[in-house]
Amino acid sequence: MTTRRRVLLVRRAVALLVLLAIWEGMSVAGWADPFYAPPPSAVGQVLAELIAGGDLWPHLGATVIAAFAGLVVGLALGVTLGFAAALAPPVADLLEPVMILLNAIPRVILAPLFVIWLGIGLASKLALATILVAVLIFFAVYNGVREVDVRLVERVRTLGGGRRFLVREVYVPSVTSWVLGSFKVAVGFAFTGAVVGEFVASSRGLGYLLQFAQSTYNASLTIALIFVIMAVVLLLFACAERIERRLLRWRYL
Amino acid sequence: MLRVNGLAVGFGGEPILDGIDLNVAAGEFATLVGPSGSGKTSILRVVTGLLEPLRGTYELDVGPRDVGFLFQDDALLAWRTARQNVALGLRIRELPVSEADERAEHWLSALGLAGLGDRYPAQLSGGQRKRVAIAQILALRPRLLLMDEPFAALDAIVRTRITQELLEWVEREHLTVLLVTHDLEEAISASDVVHVLGHGPRAAIRASHRVPIPRPRLVLEARSHPSFGPLLRRLWDELAVDAPPEGSPAHGATA
Repeated sequence: MTTRRRVLLVRRAVALLVLLAIWEGMSVAGWADPFYAPPPSAVGQVLAELIAGGDLWPHLGATVIAAFAGLVVGLALGVTLGFAAALAPPVADLLEPVMILLNAIPRVILAPLFVIWLGIGLASKLALATILVAVLIFFAVYNGVREVDVRLVERVRTLGGGRRFLVREVYVPSVTSWVLGSFKVAVGFAFTGAVVGEFVASSRGLGYLLQFAQSTYNASLTIALIFVIMAVVLLLFACAERIERRLLRWRYL
Repeated sequence: MLRVNGLAVGFGGEPILDGIDLNVAAGEFATLVGPSGSGKTSILRVVTGLLEPLRGTYELDVGPRDVGFLFQDDALLAWRTARQNVALGLRIRELPVSEADERAEHWLSALGLAGLGDRYPAQLSGGQRKRVAIAQILALRPRLLLMDEPFAALDAIVRTRITQELLEWVEREHLTVLLVTHDLEEAISASDVVHVLGHGPRAAIRASHRVPIPRPRLVLEARSHPSFGPLLRRLWDELAVDAPPEGSPAHGATA
């Protein structure tokens, strides 16, 4: 780690601590009503109980499973449809309007429909996470293939390469860099899909807990859960970044 | 080696090239000079099958696999190492990976890039990338080498050096070359024949000149040969005939 990076990290940590201290101080001074804005210590206590009591894990597990499955299925679907549309114009004619429409709307409005169709179990969360991710990845792949560097295509062709080499040496690698550019967003979307799906209707998951906390006016629990979700998403982002750096190592030199 | 008969090329509307007849004999280093935008490149693109001509035909005495095309830019696969880029053509020719890599390494060394095989294009200088692109083509042992202003982007020193190395290779291997350039000095110092392309639209070959400088040649010394100056002057005058005024839009999009 370079010195500059270390300094940056320290600065950020200090900023966060200062923020928490101010928040705590306002509570102690009586300027903030703990019912609406519980101090960090109270939130921390709820969080500790949640973890120590073992109540958190099954819910966290349910959400992570739904998000991860949605990410995988959404990626597979988006990549497949994106390639199909980019390489076969009739498929593009069929898919593009639907995808543009799905891209234009806030896709989470489909959540109630998925609950009606698929019930309150994993399937409806998976479907929501999938569609959030798939539309994003579809456009990444579709544009990636269409905007592939023509010079490279010509190069491979003049070297005698056919479709097989073009796909393997040019299309897949350049699309990979496009997809990875959207990968972190996709991870976030998958989590959004899972949590919102649970929020709408479910019997488990972080979204369900959030919904429960909200309906019981439990601000401490709500904030604690928000912190849990933030931590998990940050962790996933770090993983996504590692994958990105590994696959695009030729770019990070 | 290569015969082009009555070739016409255009992109909708009036053809930019029309009635191109061009003959490149086996073992000859031929250069096509012409103004930017005159469609010089299109001739190479037709011969390599990248472009469908409006009219006309071409004949090759060798198979398409014996033709190497060195492009103007040095676009390499950014996600592959120098070695993998050089090995690409060999692998397309279904050589096993280990053998392709071995030969690629040999060609990298031949072009002065020994030890740089594991680098990605982003880690190479412009001149090194150009050398990788040359190695990629030479590794396939072409008999006809087509080059589209391959050194335009290089600085003068690197450019002269690479031109010299390539010239030595061409002389040693008796390669047939068709080079497209707008650099008249480069054209004279490297080639046996210089063909002058007129201005578009409907550009045709206006004149052809033999270069009486003996081989083997040194690029730098060719310039001091007594015939260099007069020939340069003639080419210059021929290109200046009915040239559109500077700043007017060029016909055709490709240089």
